[in-house]
Amino acid sequence: MSDGPAIETRGVTRVFESRKGFLFREKTRTEALKGVDLVVERGAIFGLLGPNGAGKTTFTKILSTLLLPTSGTALVLGHSVTKETAWLRPRMGLVLGGERGLYNRVSGRENLRYFADLYGVPIAERERRIGEVLERVGLTDAADRRTEEYSRGMKQKLHIARGILHRPEILFLDEPTIGLDPKSARETRKLIRSLVSDGVTIFLTTHYMFEAEELCPRIAILSRGRIVARDTLDGLRTLVGGDRTFEVEAYGFEDREIESLRHLPGVSKVASEEYGPATRLTMRVRTRETTLDDVRGLLPGHPELAVRERRTSLEDVYLDLVEEEAT
Amino acid sequence: MAASAPAYTRARSTVASLRLAVLQFMADPQWLIPSMIAPVIFGLVSFELFRGYGPYFLIYAILGAGMMSMWGQTLYGSGWATGQDRNFGTLEPTIQSPTPYLYVVLGRVLWNVVSGLFGGLIVYAVVVGAAGQPPALANPLASIALFVFVMLTLAAIGVVFAAFYVYTRYAGFIQNIGEFAFYVGTGCMFPVVLLPFAVTPIALVFPPTWALDALRYVAIPGYTGFGWGLWGDVAGAVASTAVYLAIAGLIFRRVERQVLAKGNLSDY
Ligand SMILES: Nc1ncnc2c1ncn2[C@@H]1O[C@H](COP(=O)(O)OP(=O)(O)OP(=O)(O)O)[C@@H](O)[C@H]1O
Ligand SMILES: [Mg+2]
Repeated sequence: MSDGPAIETRGVTRVFESRKGFLFREKTRTEALKGVDLVVERGAIFGLLGPNGAGKTTFTKILSTLLLPTSGTALVLGHSVTKETAWLRPRMGLVLGGERGLYNRVSGRENLRYFADLYGVPIAERERRIGEVLERVGLTDAADRRTEEYSRGMKQKLHIARGILHRPEILFLDEPTIGLDPKSARETRKLIRSLVSDGVTIFLTTHYMFEAEELCPRIAILSRGRIVARDTLDGLRTLVGGDRTFEVEAYGFEDREIESLRHLPGVSKVASEEYGPATRLTMRVRTRETTLDDVRGLLPGHPELAVRERRTSLEDVYLDLVEEEAT
Repeated sequence: MAASAPAYTRARSTVASLRLAVLQFMADPQWLIPSMIAPVIFGLVSFELFRGYGPYFLIYAILGAGMMSMWGQTLYGSGWATGQDRNFGTLEPTIQSPTPYLYVVLGRVLWNVVSGLFGGLIVYAVVVGAAGQPPALANPLASIALFVFVMLTLAAIGVVFAAFYVYTRYAGFIQNIGEFAFYVGTGCMFPVVLLPFAVTPIALVFPPTWALDALRYVAIPGYTGFGWGLWGDVAGAVASTAVYLAIAGLIFRRVERQVLAKGNLSDY
């Protein structure tokens, strides 16, 4: 296997132009990606997060050769996604979430047989491999039922089975656990991790922060068609101002009090939000030197004051970065 | 991980696609009933239309109605399956696979040829039933063989149409407009030689026109047709079919590129 990054994109943009109506055509133009530069190393799970409409699916489809970029270049496994599709396609797997994408009138097993043939899975191995992937996603018992009888989660599992059937070197997973119950979602995450130990590179999009936190050593955040951050979780914590988060709750604060909190050493951010009848301040703290007692000391007139500390979560990071981008 | 990637083969993909088409049909065979109604109607209308037209009117009636129903089965079926792929969301994983979509379409077209032949059989039964007697075919075995041959030339058009369906969601609309021109032009409604002379060269653009004319040679005693003989017709059919398949291959390569640019592989 060659080295070099699994994914390398430079200035990838994508514009969608769609027309509505027949005689009086109305043109709409959406700039889904506005210049994405991204490098993803081989052999790990890379997580792409971002709000609805940020362009995650669009980017995933470009990387998996289902969509041409409007401009820019994208290499996967060192090969161009626009010019070397014949080399790339057998080596990549794609799982687009959702209930569509299956032949509903035939069984799960038949769906897999069909795609095994299209991918050229060696014919002598086909049945064994199908059995294997069905087992891996936990669909063995339902394998011979029509997929129209499948629940949403079962369909999702079958998508994953199809994605790994031909043993791709790189696997694109667009929201792989959407619609799965907690147990199935956990099993799926376990499956994803086991694929990495087989040497597969995984590119994953998700809206579940804990999922990214649990699975992805490196994460990028896409917002409105641009990568706004790309780092390890710790790196991202630093980026948004510290890996300690204080939550301070009381029935209202004065501006003067909030300002004094801001001036504590190592405090990078204080955000205020209504929280039921109370107000909650969220503080991002960069150093060890400031303590909860310092905070209490600055807020003497609040008998109902509640203060606690926790680790800055990916969700905090995400919300900070996405909000920043929006303003 | 495997060092070398698995390789698809065209024949295997086409067989897989044919097999899936059969399985999907077997899952709901009751759909056979609506698709049986059209050949019955075509057969009855055609019988009335050709009644009294010479001693071989039965053969004309069967060929005319047979072609109409096969057009529906073969052409429509081929394109429609692609439209359905788009609706199901299966077009994306199929295009993403290493197999060029053309070979998937070929498999389905083969299935449509089979179901088209079935429609032809119904037409035959209906017309013979209405007439109360079977037609006197000059060479029954050759007639059957050429009947299958006509289907295959039709299938070539089906492949070209499927490419349109990949390209646009509005392909069905275009195809409907083309349908009537095809009925008249290929001589399935009337033998082309009876039409104004100007129509003949247009009709020759369609491979089935040639194949159908060849079929008339072996079915109707003393038939003269276009005048270049049975083998001339067969050669013309083979050549024009080859041209259609080559065009289809080219279109498919371009169309795939274009849909990747347009981003309309999936309906939302
Ligand atoms: N085929 C298409 N035609 C027109 N516009 C499109 C098409 N696909 C995506 N878009 C637009 O591009 C933008 C990005 O969409 P995309 O699906 O990539 O977002 P996403 O990050 O995956 O969102 P979500 O989290 O909701 O899945 C959106 O504004 C969307 O409307
Ligand atoms: Mg998406």
